[in-house]
Amino acid sequence: MSGPRAVTVLIEDHLITLSRAVGLIRRRNLPVHSLAVGPTDAPGVSRLTIMLQSDDATAGRAAQHLQKIIGVRDATAIPAGDAVAREIALVKLRPPPERYAELLDVVQLYHAAVVDESADVVIVELTGSEAFVLSCIRALERFHIVEVARSGAVALESGAAELRMSTQPQLEAGAT
Amino acid sequence: MTETLTGSQILCRVLLEQGVDVLFGYPGGAIMPFYHALPEYPALRHVLVRHEQAAAHAADGYARATGRAGVCVATSGPGATNLVTGIATAHMDSTPVVAITGQVPRAMMGRDAFQETDIIGITQPITKHSVLVDDVDRLAGAVREALAIAVEGRPGPVLVDIPKDVQQAKTEWRDQHAARQPAPRPGGVPGPLADAVRLLAEAERPLIMAGHGIILSGAYEELRALAERTGIPVITTLLGISGFPESHPLHLGMPGMHGEVHVNRAIQQADLILGIGLRFDDRVTGNLAGFARHAKVIHVELDPSEVGKNVAIDVGLVGDARDILRALLDDVAPRDCKAWRAQIADFMRPRQESFREDLSPGAILGAIDRAAEGRCTIVSDVGQHQMWVAKLFPYRRPNTHLTSGGLGTMGFAVPAAMGAALARPDEPVWAISGDGGFQMNMQEIATMVQEGIPVKMAVFNNGYLGMVRQWQQFFHGRRYSATPIWSPDYVRLAEAYGIFGRRVERGDEVGDAVRAAIAHPGPALVEFLIEQEANVFPMIPPGASLSEPIEGEPTEPRLVPA
Ligand SMILES: Cc1ncc(C[n+]2csc(CCOP(=O)(O)OP(=O)(O)O)c2C)c(N)n1
Repeated sequence: MSGPRAVTVLIEDHLITLSRAVGLIRRRNLPVHSLAVGPTDAPGVSRLTIMLQSDDATAGRAAQHLQKIIGVRDATAIPAGDAVAREIALVKLRPPPERYAELLDVVQLYHAAVVDESADVVIVELTGSEAFVLSCIRALERFHIVEVARSGAVALESGAAELRMSTQPQLEAGAT
Repeated sequence: MTETLTGSQILCRVLLEQGVDVLFGYPGGAIMPFYHALPEYPALRHVLVRHEQAAAHAADGYARATGRAGVCVATSGPGATNLVTGIATAHMDSTPVVAITGQVPRAMMGRDAFQETDIIGITQPITKHSVLVDDVDRLAGAVREALAIAVEGRPGPVLVDIPKDVQQAKTEWRDQHAARQPAPRPGGVPGPLADAVRLLAEAERPLIMAGHGIILSGAYEELRALAERTGIPVITTLLGISGFPESHPLHLGMPGMHGEVHVNRAIQQADLILGIGLRFDDRVTGNLAGFARHAKVIHVELDPSEVGKNVAIDVGLVGDARDILRALLDDVAPRDCKAWRAQIADFMRPRQESFREDLSPGAILGAIDRAAEGRCTIVSDVGQHQMWVAKLFPYRRPNTHLTSGGLGTMGFAVPAAMGAALARPDEPVWAISGDGGFQMNMQEIATMVQEGIPVKMAVFNNGYLGMVRQWQQFFHGRRYSATPIWSPDYVRLAEAYGIFGRRVERGDEVGDAVRAAIAHPGPALVEFLIEQEANVFPMIPPGASLSEPIEGEPTEPRLVPA
């Protein structure tokens, strides 16, 4: 199965740790499809999701390398087929006024939402798998896209698997 | 009891508390507060090097010789960047070096201040860990942490960057010893041990390949016991050398690019390879597609990310080499592999080397061994002589061969030998270099003189950057571009530094020169004028498989494979 593999990483909130994680991916010359980073429910810990255009073995090795970074609490590669991966996109459009109603139909069809409107510009928010998001963006092209912001995917493994975080912080708070 | 101390005083206290007794360093603006505090702590010996690169290599040599962290110190900017090669060397060979660098004051950081460099960023891919200490209250913890991280698990270099004003800042200090101990190596033995035992019993042509992990975990006895119990021949990689007695009947030698023909042929014929604490580096495997095609592989390795990284494996045993070897010893049945060893003995070839009048590397190394009565540590540099030193010295005791393997850093031997000599005051420590590598760090003779560090230096002078010249001869149509290298008069150089110096031009002078160098109490320098265009044989051309060695002088120049 091709398509990107998800490597998810729980990482302490220090720029040096994030920099090391991303630097490792660069140094090992791994083909990055997307990167996303955001907070978790644990204070001081972020979740980094790296989508790699690679096979399971390469993604697994990337997770092993990431695991060694001081400040990485856990890292795992989700095997192909087991990942539920979703991204969000914001699409800014300048629809011709006469096609506004048609735009709303498309938005509804894709379970998207208009989240901002000004004089002649609207922003549409859409969520889903990458393929879904891309097909939705394609459907919006005829309404004159001004700009697209995509989040990159976040992913969870289906079933009961979870990243288990070592409870001890590895770096002192405030380390940079 | 609480007292008010500066960051610099705290740094000194923590280094002492953690058992550090020697620092290799060089002062400068951003580290001056630390140097101001240093004289208050005479138990911390400071060795003033002549170039910060040497400080890092010396700390590395100290670390390799002791297994404890070696510490180097430099100022910000150029001081810190001069450490980089030494840090990278330590990183590639998994040695515990802690680098302490001064940084510009916090308020100046990020403004391209005078002598500001982002040393954390620069060293990020070549350190195991690094930390900028931006608060004096976190300094003690950060230094303890750095010393612990450097040695625990798979060792590696750690950098601690301390802004000048943090060194000066005062805070309350409470004596609280050793808050952070290195985590023990992961204990216990992983699952598929039974599979390994079965493969070891079934194999007809098994081999053990032993790497640096044997030395890092101190698994000498266990390795020997396993080999003797099973009769399985042992190959030692460049960094595994001295992990198994060189003259042991089961010892085959070094594999790879300059491995002996019988060693590489044994690998190619083997039906099982038990790799212990090595990473199947390309200099060891040759072309991977043609590496040990008939062999199943058991890989014993502390770092799980190494298992299966280069070579496909059948059984991976993740953990400390010593623990795993002990567990294997509990279960492995005796056998003897006689037929297989006889087969390997048939692969052996006489060595193809031409040297004048016994002034051969083998004769020099034999003389050093005899003069030292079997008790010395050899630190080699990088090049042809490194291969001769690896293959021809009769290492008897564990961890008596130190060299830069993964990075192949010329200039390593002389400063690393200073570190090793401080760690091993009771035996001669020899730095063996080529005339190229020696000139990269020979300024450190001054350090040895000032600090009374009695390193014995041997320069194998062939008038060339020999290993590069050899490649030019073999693969570049003998175009000796930029490889002839002029040397100063080393005897007069020694004289200028006020140390023992001797030039050896004939085989019959070797023994006397070496004995005199050892007998002389301080640093000593012996130059050996060796054959200029000798080559290291055999050689696997880059990109070729272990089955395609060049065994003697090529009749026609080859061209480099594109
Ligand atoms: C710092 C550094 N620069 C360049 C090289 C490339 N290199 C590898 S071996 C070698 C020649 C070494 O010559 P010498 O020190 O005279 O030793 P010999 O090979 O003659 O024994 C060179 C230049 C290196 N390994 N390290």
